[in-house]
Amino acid sequence: MASASATYEIKNEHGEVINTSTGLSNKKLLMWAFLGSDVMFFGSFIATYLVYRNRSLVGPYPADILEIPITSVSTFVLLMSSLAMVLALSYIQQGRQKLGTFWIFSVVVLGSIFLMFQVYEFNHFAHLGLTPRTNLFGTTFFILTGLHGAHVTLGVLWLMFLGFGSLKGTLRKDNAIDLELAGLYWHFVDIVWIVIFTVIYLISARDVAPPGSPPFVGH
Amino acid sequence: MRFPRIFPRPKSEYGIWSWISTVDHKRIGTLYAVTSFLWFLVGGIEALIMRVQLSQADSTLIDPELFNQLFTMHGTTMVFLVVMPLSAAFFNWLVPLQIGARDVAFPRLNALSYWIFLFGSLFLNFSWFVGDAPNGGWFGYAPNSHVAFNPTHGMTYWVIGLNILGIASIAAGLNFIVTILNMRAPGMTLTKMPVFTWMTFVTSVLIVLALPVLTVALIQLQVDRLYGTHFYNTAAGGDPVLWQHVFWLFGHPEVYILILPAMGIVSEILPVFSRKPLFGYTFLVFAGVAIGFMGWFVWSHHMFTVGLGPAANSAFAISTMAIAIPTGIKIFNWIGTMWGGSIRFTTAMLFAISFIAMFTIGGLSGVMHASVPTDAQQQDTYFVVAHFHYVLFGGAIMAIFGGIYFWWPKATGYMLSEKLGVTNWLLMLIGFNLQFAPQHWLGLDGMPRRIFTYAENMGWENTNMYASAGGFIMALGVLFFIINVIYSARKRVPAGDDPWDGRTLEWSISSPPPHYNFEKIPNVAHRDDWWFTKHPELIAEYYHDEHAGELRAPSGAQFDDDDFAEDEHAEAHASDHHDDDDHGHGIHLPDMSYYPFILAIGLTIIGAGLMTYIPVIIVGVVILLWGLLGWSMEPVNDPAPEGEAHGH
Amino acid sequence: MANFWNKLLYHDGRGWWDLPRTQWQDPNPQMEGPFGDGITPIKKAWDFITAASYHHGTPLFYVVIGVILSIITIVEVWAFNWLFLGGLLIPLMLVLSLGKFVLVVGFFMHLKFDRKYYAWIFTACMVIGIGIFVALLLLLEFGHQVQQ
Repeated sequence: MASASATYEIKNEHGEVINTSTGLSNKKLLMWAFLGSDVMFFGSFIATYLVYRNRSLVGPYPADILEIPITSVSTFVLLMSSLAMVLALSYIQQGRQKLGTFWIFSVVVLGSIFLMFQVYEFNHFAHLGLTPRTNLFGTTFFILTGLHGAHVTLGVLWLMFLGFGSLKGTLRKDNAIDLELAGLYWHFVDIVWIVIFTVIYLISARDVAPPGSPPFVGH
Repeated sequence: MRFPRIFPRPKSEYGIWSWISTVDHKRIGTLYAVTSFLWFLVGGIEALIMRVQLSQADSTLIDPELFNQLFTMHGTTMVFLVVMPLSAAFFNWLVPLQIGARDVAFPRLNALSYWIFLFGSLFLNFSWFVGDAPNGGWFGYAPNSHVAFNPTHGMTYWVIGLNILGIASIAAGLNFIVTILNMRAPGMTLTKMPVFTWMTFVTSVLIVLALPVLTVALIQLQVDRLYGTHFYNTAAGGDPVLWQHVFWLFGHPEVYILILPAMGIVSEILPVFSRKPLFGYTFLVFAGVAIGFMGWFVWSHHMFTVGLGPAANSAFAISTMAIAIPTGIKIFNWIGTMWGGSIRFTTAMLFAISFIAMFTIGGLSGVMHASVPTDAQQQDTYFVVAHFHYVLFGGAIMAIFGGIYFWWPKATGYMLSEKLGVTNWLLMLIGFNLQFAPQHWLGLDGMPRRIFTYAENMGWENTNMYASAGGFIMALGVLFFIINVIYSARKRVPAGDDPWDGRTLEWSISSPPPHYNFEKIPNVAHRDDWWFTKHPELIAEYYHDEHAGELRAPSGAQFDDDDFAEDEHAEAHASDHHDDDDHGHGIHLPDMSYYPFILAIGLTIIGAGLMTYIPVIIVGVVILLWGLLGWSMEPVNDPAPEGEAHGH
Repeated sequence: MANFWNKLLYHDGRGWWDLPRTQWQDPNPQMEGPFGDGITPIKKAWDFITAASYHHGTPLFYVVIGVILSIITIVEVWAFNWLFLGGLLIPLMLVLSLGKFVLVVGFFMHLKFDRKYYAWIFTACMVIGIGIFVALLLLLEFGHQVQQ
């Protein structure tokens, strides 16, 4: 995270490193390349989900389980955390330390709320009889959303670390780039959720038993 | 905010701790090279055992299970523990030197890549000692590798080990992308970069985009094997072809990850020993980029016999044949480079030339596979084995050995013996062709791959005997390389800074290079800048542009000459104030760090915990978090304590 | 009528799409489009709320984007629950999500304001990713049939 080159770094007034051949900050370039790599990671899982859509041999199927209202609330929470993130960065970059700190911790809180929703959802589904071992839908659903949740958890920890740094004054206007990296990561996790919400919930939430498979009658 | 330090910041420049805590790209490169050469020997011994087994019909030297483990581990070792990290050794050693930088962009991340690679490779090979080595092939086809058909622990080791290695590769790839884009010396635009650096860039992009796909496939197989999910469980409706698709989505870019660095090495060796600039630089570079892009859209040619239907098969046949075009462009450009040059047949040059020949043979048999009906005949026979060994051994390993002979004097300061070197080359070339050329015939005759023995009346004994003999001749060649290293290390014939009349920036500094590489960051005006610095009279011959000699701003940089002067001023100014860590040259290098090592240990313990008990995972996570926190709170450079400013 | 087309297509004797490319080619570039300077106040307002000179948006601007994102989400859920679109559901949802995706990437991740290099990197990865995964889905959908 905080690794950097001592050989070249000279920062401009925005705290950005300028003395590189492209004029781009090393860290930010690294982050964008990493996000490109993560595109392939989530892309593979989402592709797997779509391949296995409507292929489960036993229930429960999406239509028996998924509840759009609850998940749309958690989606809204994650979107708002993205907004809080961009505001935090904006204020830290302007040197308005207190507002920035407030918004960083808002992101932490909103991200944690999202995670609680996910824990609730997982428990609820397990109660209804869907676990990763039940059928293909369960496998692909839990692993994809679970790994997204792991990304969110990592982001929450990272932002908590930065939030305390901002409280103590080690995260300031001149090294706001560290927060910007965490922000890029956080927004990326958010756009992944936008795609997951669309693919799993909005597109396939009405999927019932595929032809040849028995309907789900509950346990 | 300071993190409580358990260890003091490492300062020693000698001894084992200095290697464990090093962040110097040259030392990390050496670590990569030594480690992966040791794995090369291990993988080679695995191959020799298989060759002994196959040299006779109905041989009973080893049982089929051990044979499965051997070919699986041979393939996995050679791909992930030899060719990729040997290329990484070259990236580490050469990229900063070729672009005129003092280190990579993220030195500690670089160290982390190495340590994760080391522990991951040990984890993978640890499976030998528990008696359950992976046995599902280097491609690990599911559902064959699924727990239902493969209940031993071998493939679990494989899955977790490769995931650990994947993290190392992705971290290294990201690091080199940033290094190459951002750390170039002033004036070195993208089109003035050496071809090896270009190929490193393309390879890094492929690594960063392809390895996550493998990671996903491995995670899916891992949760299947460990927690009973159904990704590849056909009994629950899992698709038996999905793994093949996902694996080859990664696997085909991987092929180019293996060969592109070799192409870069050859592109550096040929012009030096032909005493000519590279023929068609732009074509070579763009062919490399084209290969990197097209390599994404050919994966299903590994699956022609699956039955994808005529439309898909035709599409992938066409794209596979099309990818031969940029490859052919490269081959013609290399020949064009040698054409009319005054060639010196040093060992490095001989390896490079044999790379072209062997790679062309392997490439041509590859084009044969692109034709669907032909491929149906050749699938899973020794013809395919011959093909990819011509590409990977005759191609990648030959080029890497050439690179070792070429850059050894730069890295160590003394020469390798040319006599022993030529013997090494000759034995390897003869042995290689004796081993793999007959396998074309064996394959066309129908001998399948991955069988542990064959019946006496098949008529394959003689050819297999030749092949096995060739294997041992190759091994002898490698032995001569080891002898050469030991002999030359004793003899120590000093190499001088520029023994070959080199062309790129690494030859402009002393051998071995100092800690800080470049005393003054060079200004680059030309491609092959060092060569034109030595031979200014040749500039007019190759550059018709009268302004070619002028200094240009770095590519993409938006400052004009005035700002540029300011920057240099700022650098000089900064170095005035940082003479605490300067080794006498006003140069500021990142301090050493233990945290990459600690982080890598934590990651590996997590991997081990996944196979054993949850408390082990918790221990691993704690160590990992310790490494992460310590790393992020450790400044890149410690402020020097008062009174020790001139301690060195 | 001819006058209208002339006004729409040409400006000062040349096509308005033929705008000077750099300030060096034309020291006083005419930024007028086919609508005259009717666009200027909008552009000024845009520059004001995005604080374009600072290379980032203002907090107000981000809040507006956040509100738009929320509205799109509400529309999605509403359309899912109360509009029975049949086959149109999937394309509609994809388009709406693409909108959200672009807004977050473009404004929250500053790609719109930042150096184009980053946008290129991300776009290239997205293109390769979408390309191969769409190809994969097509292959698995039409390539072979699993015998259950």
